[in-house]
Amino acid sequence: MTLKTLTKPWEPMSYGFLDGSAKREIRRKMIKAIAVPGCQMPYASREVPMARGWGTGGLQVSLTLVNPSMRVKVIDQGADDSVNAASIRRFIARVAGTPTTMDTLDADLIQSRHRIPEEVLREDQVLVLQVPNPEPLRPVQPNMSIARQMHADADYGRMWLQLYEQIVRSGRVMQGASYPSLVHGRHVMTPSPIPRWDVPKLHMAKHLTILSAGREKRIFAVPPFTRVEPLVFSDVPYRVEEHAELTCHRSGTRGFFMNEIPQDNGTSTFEVSDSEWGVKSIRRRDGEDVALGETWYKNGKMSS
Amino acid sequence: MAYVATRGGERAIEQSQRLFKAEMGTITPERVAEIRAAMPYLIDRVMGEASLYDEDLAALALAQTGGELYEAVLLLRAWRTTQPRIAVAEPVTQGALFTHRRISAAFKDIPGGQVLGPTLDYAHRILATEVLDGQTNSPEPVEAAAKPSPAQQPSVAAWQAENGLLSGAVSDTLTGNDIPDVTREPLLFPAKRAHTLQSLARAETGGVLALGYAAQRGYGQAHPTVNELRLAEAEVVVTHPRGTQFSAGRVKVSQAEVVSKKGEQLELGFSATLGWNEVKVIAAATLDLNSKGAPKGSATEEEFFLYHTEGVESSGFCIHFKLPHYVTFQSSLDAMRDAKAKKAAKEKSPELAE
Amino acid sequence: MSVFPVPSAFETRSNATFDAIMWALARPGMTRDLPEEGMAQIVEALIDRECAVHCANPELANVARAAGALMVALDAADHVFVEDVPLALLDQLRCGSDLHPDDGATLIACADLSGGSRVRMTGPGVDGRVELLIGGLPADFWHRRARAMRYPMGFEILLVDGARILGVPRSTVVEVL
Repeated sequence: MTLKTLTKPWEPMSYGFLDGSAKREIRRKMIKAIAVPGCQMPYASREVPMARGWGTGGLQVSLTLVNPSMRVKVIDQGADDSVNAASIRRFIARVAGTPTTMDTLDADLIQSRHRIPEEVLREDQVLVLQVPNPEPLRPVQPNMSIARQMHADADYGRMWLQLYEQIVRSGRVMQGASYPSLVHGRHVMTPSPIPRWDVPKLHMAKHLTILSAGREKRIFAVPPFTRVEPLVFSDVPYRVEEHAELTCHRSGTRGFFMNEIPQDNGTSTFEVSDSEWGVKSIRRRDGEDVALGETWYKNGKMSS
Repeated sequence: MAYVATRGGERAIEQSQRLFKAEMGTITPERVAEIRAAMPYLIDRVMGEASLYDEDLAALALAQTGGELYEAVLLLRAWRTTQPRIAVAEPVTQGALFTHRRISAAFKDIPGGQVLGPTLDYAHRILATEVLDGQTNSPEPVEAAAKPSPAQQPSVAAWQAENGLLSGAVSDTLTGNDIPDVTREPLLFPAKRAHTLQSLARAETGGVLALGYAAQRGYGQAHPTVNELRLAEAEVVVTHPRGTQFSAGRVKVSQAEVVSKKGEQLELGFSATLGWNEVKVIAAATLDLNSKGAPKGSATEEEFFLYHTEGVESSGFCIHFKLPHYVTFQSSLDAMRDAKAKKAAKEKSPELAE
Repeated sequence: MSVFPVPSAFETRSNATFDAIMWALARPGMTRDLPEEGMAQIVEALIDRECAVHCANPELANVARAAGALMVALDAADHVFVEDVPLALLDQLRCGSDLHPDDGATLIACADLSGGSRVRMTGPGVDGRVELLIGGLPADFWHRRARAMRYPMGFEILLVDGARILGVPRSTVVEVL
């Protein structure tokens, strides 16, 4: 063995910012995350040139997966042009030379915060979800060591109790986003703060979902064709947000997750949260030949 | 509409950065050199929290961020992760430190002597306002002691261990790459000793102080006595591939030992960090002292204080709440409105409601 | 950052290798193409000084050693590279714990992915069920595997045949038909 075999030519910056050892560690952890769906795998989580809590976990996964032919889409709250999505997209393109897109149909890799696009993802697509808090048990157990033991024992009694108490108190489950869900019948997972509307999109999906929390240093995954079942009681069915009847005032599209825009006169209007779906709908309405993909929800109903 | 501007995001962020930079003007090599020379304690604090010892880079980070400390530390940490590891230095031992300041509150005098060294402890904190009137404020020359104190000193804890007051530290036999590195592996609990000390060494000073102070005020079990506080320089000894050991330079370090009585023995809390930062190491050593057997969820429990004093993580999470959260908010609103409607329906006709 | 980012040949190969591994494990029963033949590229993509490796082949062991891996006994390894799998090996692989299922090992072995005994796979990543032929493994391999693991504890298997790879995560139920 010579010194030369142990060294590599100096580079001002690694391709995709992360160095080889960081990428290899994330790869090894992704393998385990895929193998045990919904189970949180600890990883070192390097610092990246963005603040913790701003998508650094998702970013590390994306930077590990990208290559110059991978088309990347980044969304925040469903929007491609939200400032942080723009910032992350620009960073990935700058350090990895990747082409970017806003069209869900064109993307190979989609990094997202708080939403899953409305168009059905294909089996060659990877969805990377940014996760602020990877621990679904935190509301009932803030201590991570105890929570880890609860996962080990599949001890989810307190989680169920919390849901039950909400029903008793408020007549319904009050969980908004981040609805806790049982993955592959074994691990309770937070689907990240996606609305309840989006959780069914993970169940038996065709695409691969990687969830990554940079600050909390945990990676977990939902492989394709994996059961993701929101925790519900048999007599109180799971309910998504009541957006089925809402119409986007800009694009006219109907039956998708909406942003509520308060108006001066005390009322609200709505615009579709998946911004590119809205843009494509407008272009289609204006007579352009735009490809609209199949959607998970049809006429406001999840098609199974 | 400007918040999630239609297709305006990229331009908006570009301009927002220009606004920030405009206030600081041109960053010159002279400015960076001046920051480095004028603010050694700030540089030390930033280097400690970044766990990266380079005064020039620290000064540059401060210049580039206008002194926004959390940003400066993040800048250095992000730079640090991209750097290759060339070697792992030999362990630094207390006895080998080139000591500038070393005091003990536990004894009137200690083997090797009390060395006051550089400090503002006994200064009268009066602003030198004459400088603002155009005068200069130059330090009086330091007068050398008749008998210089020895550069190298034993640790007070070593003396206590010899006298059976303290069970001596069990030395860790791991060397080189086998020493756990908290920047290369996740922090899990119960934490490895190396991870605990490393995490405290790079913890955010204010955070460590807040929790350490809470422990000192009585939320901890143990009342600390400063056994020894030391400001020193350490040789960074590395091994050349040919086997020769040599010093690659010196780094400033601070370390604190605090003790408290437990039965017939003293218990020891320890902390060390890069750079000179006394408040941080005393507070951190207090947390270390209190962590054994601390109740789950208390401020002196290892998991609690190590997670919550990590400055890059805590500050990042805190400012992330500025990001739009309207999807999650919408989701909560939906549940609230529905619950309210259910309640109203129930009050109207109790027998009809579900 | 004025440098245009161009991946090195090493980076390109590692990236493509991991892509194949990732999808192989995400879709058990479907083989994927590796950039080239053999296991050295897998070592490059996954192994470094943070890994404890057991490797039967001395040439490949050199690659792993050069990557910085600690060479260890079978039961201490997080990555195991073998050409043939003796049945007893399956009982010695690390399975992790309920607290840390990620401590389970990854076994990389050779197999015949175009012929052999017919197996049926079900579980995450499989659309209903998938049947395929796998050869080159000792009889009773899949029973022994099932007996060695208690989900979520277990190990992952990557089977390599030339430049093709098949993934069998611990979550996959394999029945011999």
